[in-house]
Formats: sequence, C-alpha cells, structure tokens
Amino acid sequence: MERNEQTTAGPRLTAGAIAQKYGILIALALACVTLTFISENFLTTRNILNVLRQTSINGVLAIGMTFVILTRGIDLSVGSLVALTGVVASSFATTATTGFIPGAPWPALLAIAIGLVVGMACGGVSGTIVARFRVPAFVATLGMLSAARGLTLLYSGGRPIPALSEGFRWIGTGSLFGVPVPIFVLLGTFAVAHFVLTQTRFGRHVYAVGGNPHAAKVSGLPVNGIRFAVYVISGGLAGLAGIILAARTGSALPQAGIAYELDAIAAVVIGGTSLAGGIGRVSGTLIGALLIGVMNNGLDLLGVESYYQQVIKGVLIVAAVMMDRSKNKQD
Amino acid sequence: MTKKLLTMASTLALVAGAAFADDKPKIGAAVYGLNAEFMQIWAQALQNHPAVKQGLVDVTVFDGKYDALTQQDQFETMITQGFDAIIFVPIDIEAGAAAVDAAAAANIPVFGSNTRVNSDKLAAYVGSDDVQSGYMEAKYVLDKIGCKGNVVIIEGPVGQSAQIQRLEGNKKALAECPDVKVLEDQTANWSRAEAQTLMENWLTAHPGEINGIIGQNDEMALGAIEAVKAAGLDPKSFAIAGIDGVTDALHAVKDGNMASILQDGAAQAQGALDLAIAAVLPDYKPMSEIWTAYPDMPWADGKAKEYSVPWTPVTADNVDALLAARQ
Repeated sequence: MERNEQTTAGPRLTAGAIAQKYGILIALALACVTLTFISENFLTTRNILNVLRQTSINGVLAIGMTFVILTRGIDLSVGSLVALTGVVASSFATTATTGFIPGAPWPALLAIAIGLVVGMACGGVSGTIVARFRVPAFVATLGMLSAARGLTLLYSGGRPIPALSEGFRWIGTGSLFGVPVPIFVLLGTFAVAHFVLTQTRFGRHVYAVGGNPHAAKVSGLPVNGIRFAVYVISGGLAGLAGIILAARTGSALPQAGIAYELDAIAAVVIGGTSLAGGIGRVSGTLIGALLIGVMNNGLDLLGVESYYQQVIKGVLIVAAVMMDRSKNKQD
Repeated sequence: MTKKLLTMASTLALVAGAAFADDKPKIGAAVYGLNAEFMQIWAQALQNHPAVKQGLVDVTVFDGKYDALTQQDQFETMITQGFDAIIFVPIDIEAGAAAVDAAAAANIPVFGSNTRVNSDKLAAYVGSDDVQSGYMEAKYVLDKIGCKGNVVIIEGPVGQSAQIQRLEGNKKALAECPDVKVLEDQTANWSRAEAQTLMENWLTAHPGEINGIIGQNDEMALGAIEAVKAAGLDPKSFAIAGIDGVTDALHAVKDGNMASILQDGAAQAQGALDLAIAAVLPDYKPMSEIWTAYPDMPWADGKAKEYSVPWTPVTADNVDALLAARQ
C-alpha cells in the first residue's frame, strides 16, 4: 500500500494512475450517477439509507475478512458463523427465555455479548489451527464452515428461533436520529478497523506478516499471535453480522448466511486488497461492499432479473483483480 | 475372569440375537434435506406415528442434504440393506426418477410424499396440490384489495416444482381480476433475508403503489413484512399472504399481519408411512389419525395412486390450536 502511494504521488500523477488508484471509487460514483439519472427513486434519503442498511451485514463481514486476507489468509467460515452466532445469541433474546429477573427476557446486551464471544471463539479455533498447526487457512476455515453449520442445526434443532425481544431487535430495526442502527454499526466497525490498521502497531504488524512473513518473523514479530488474532477479529465480526441479521429478520434462521463468505471476499477483492497479502485497506473494502449493495439495489429498482446481478458481480470481481494486477506490475 | 468372559459371550449372543430376531419391517425415508423447519416437522411426524411408537415397524430417516446424488446413494444403501419400503421426498423432480427405478428393480415399493418425482414406478403419492395453494393465497390477497390495485409476487427458486405450480395458481387467481397490475415479479429463493431486501427496494421503486404482496412461501412473506415495517409502514394496510404455515407465520397471522395456508407436512408423512406399512403387512389398518381428520382424503384400502392432503387456511380462529400443536 505504502509503495503505491509513493509511486503515484507527485508529478507522475497521470490520468491512468488516478484511474488505477481511485478506480473503485470512480466506479461507485459512476454507478450512483447513472442510477440517479435512470431511476427517480435512487437518490432519495430513504433509498440511500436502505442501501447502507442492506450493505451493513456484508460490510461488517468484509471488514473482518480484510484483516484475514491482509495476512495472506482466507476465512470461508463467516457465513456459517453468521447462522451459529445468530441462533445462539437469539436463544438468549427471545421473549420466552427468562433471565435474571423472573418474567423478563435476558438483557439484550448480554445476548449480544454471547453472540460475539461465540463468533470470536470459533474464529479462535480457526486461528489456532492456522497459526499453531500450520494448516492452510482455506482448509481450516472450510472445516469450520461445515462444523459451525452443523452446530447451528444441532443447537436450534433445524428450526428458527422466533419472538426476539424488542431490545435485541433494536440493533437491527431501530433508528438513531432517523438513521437505522445497522448503519452506525457498520460505520463504527469501519472506523475502529481503519484506526487499528493505520494507527496501531498491531495494524502495521498485520501488513508486515502479510507482506513478507519470513521477514516479519526474522525481525521478531509475533507472527503466530497476529495470525491467530485476525481470525478472532473475523469471527467476532461474523458474530456481529449474525446478530444484526437475526435482529433484522426478527427470527434467527439456522439456514441463514449460506454463501455470505463469497460476497464478503468479493467486497474485499473489488476493494483492491490483494489476495497475496500485505496490500489493501479497509476503506477500499467498504467501497467494494457499497458497490455491490448499490448494484443490487439499482438493478432491483430497475426491475432487472436477479440472475443478471450475479453475472455483473462476477464481471466486477474479475475486472477488479485484473486492475490490481496491472497496478502491481507497474510498481 | 470366567465370569467376565461369560458376560461378554452373553452380551454378544444378545446383540447377535437382536440382529437376527428383529424381523420388524424396515422402512426408509429419504428426504431432500433436514435444514428447514418444514421437513423437521415432516420427519418428526414419522417418528410420532402410532405404528412407530408401538414398535410395529422401524423407520430410518436419511438426510439428502439438498443433493440429488446423495439421495441416489442413500437409495443404493437402502436397497443393499434390504429395506422393505421407501418413502421418498426428492430434491429434484427429474433426478429422483433413477433412484425410484433402482428400488423398483429390487422390488422395493417407493411412496412419494410432499414433492413429486417424474416416475411412473411410484407405488403412490401423498402430497398437496401446489396450484391450489397458489390460487388460494393469491385469491386472499386479491379479495382483500377488492380486486383492484397493484400487487408484487415474490417467487421461489425458478424451476422448482413448487414455484412453477404456485405461480400457475397465482396467475389463475390474477386472471379473475384483470384490473390488478403485477408491478414486480421476482425470485427470493424461499429466503426471508433475500425477500426483505427485494421488498425494501420495491417499496422504494413504487412508493405508495403496492397494495398486495403474494409470497410463494411464508419465509418470503415474513421478509416482506419486515421490509414494510422498516419503511415505517403498517403491514396491516397491505394484503400479504404466504404458504406453508411455519411457526413464525402462525405468529404473524395471530398479529393480523398476513395470511398463511398450512401445508400439512405431518399428514403427508404419516399418510405415506401408512401406505408403506400396508404394502409390507397385508392385514394392516391405517393407524394415523389423519384419515379421520381429513374426510376429503379417503384411505381407499391403501390402493389409490394419489392422495391429496387438503390445505388449511390459517385464520384467527384456528391459529391458537395450530400453535399449541407445535409446542
């Protein structure tokens, strides 16, 4: 990342360089401008809030995924973790389950904390398998994808967990100053992740481990600890996404979140983070997630069949990686 | 030591004896997948069948994991293990036919339940007519909006038999109301979250224009309700309907937010099991109470080819009883 900024700064800031550096942002702007012209309902406050709210779950997952991919890893388990954390947290948040005070449900915050802990614990298991036992991330998290889905079905008996308490549902359906809560969750997650990656030592270590693991090890960085930590972050954010999803739909569904990992990876890749590790930023991921969200929303507004949405998303992913490649070659 | 050996020997003998002496008919149920509530209810109804509870037959349920090949493999397993009859809920209307052929070649009768398979070798089929449910739910929506205005249809995965047949029923009802316009018509793949997003975007694209929402299953209708609420609107000011009668939908009916049409999966399961037992035990009389509960579906000595389990509209009157039965 730092390298790119150096090469494109100063007098060498040509049109081509701008297009490559801000390509994804330009694509998002173009999509928004086009949609504003062809659909009168696109650029309305309510619709923009809708797009942001619809992006919140994928955005939160993709931010966690960015940490993992920056270390040359991958986390395929987040879709299953969305379902697992959703049903576990919700089971403590139904109006039927009573907490400390007889007759009253568990405090929503406690249910949310339980969901986050379950997500982090599963991430911790994946992280341990990757960092300590040297199992490739693809395999370790593929295992977690299957195991977590199985645990979800065991825990819930394959049935949805309905009737969630008002307090718990607030995180998915509530509003603050007219803005839906999930949007605050997304922006808050982004702000923290951006700060951690750019302003803290841990963040620099994440880039170092992904950029050159050998050099990082030689210079005495706790490589294993960092690898472990990124999966805990990804798992915890999957928990957050699972909680938002359950709160939004009003019921935790054991079959929720199937293939969500693919959309999260797509947002990261479209946002310019390299699957080879060490290069990328979380702001790109956020824009990537927004681009996917704007596209789905726009095509729905225009009444385009959902099958086209999948085709267009596929083209975007490949185009983004091709651009990334030519950028790196230039360096 | 001797005592220990004796115990071991007798245990072994017992186990062996159990394996040989157990000449109870073995009935296998191959279902497309157990991840969703509907098939859970279906499978549980099999285990709760009086004949199973009294130990007349052994029933084994095979989870097809939503994969046609897995179901095919499970048929092979049942054939080699000498099952006496098979109950089949296929994932795919075409791909299941080969599995039925293989069982028929081994002289094992196969009974269809819930979902059709394109085979003339099925001994009988117990299901509900999806065209009818599609008609019933659309009719409810159209009646509530007074046969005029605009509706949207949220469809199941395009090409699945339930989607095709429910859409046929939807269209049959819509044809009776030529003044009603279908503003949007798209799939949300039976998914609540997908339907919620779709509906949010439709409410934006057609502000104040949508009067009725036809969801081809309950999950999608429930997603639409959440979208309506999120837009600050009242679900009661829309006509919203779904199909299946899942528990969340029963609650929504109770709240007055939607209509649902109950697909009696338990009756489909128990009916097919009664037929399967009758095929194996010649003097068997059906033991499930469904035959008295649905006089419109006669037992016909277990000889009919088609058994159509009636749909039950969920209303304020019967919703409490239905919810109580779910506990």
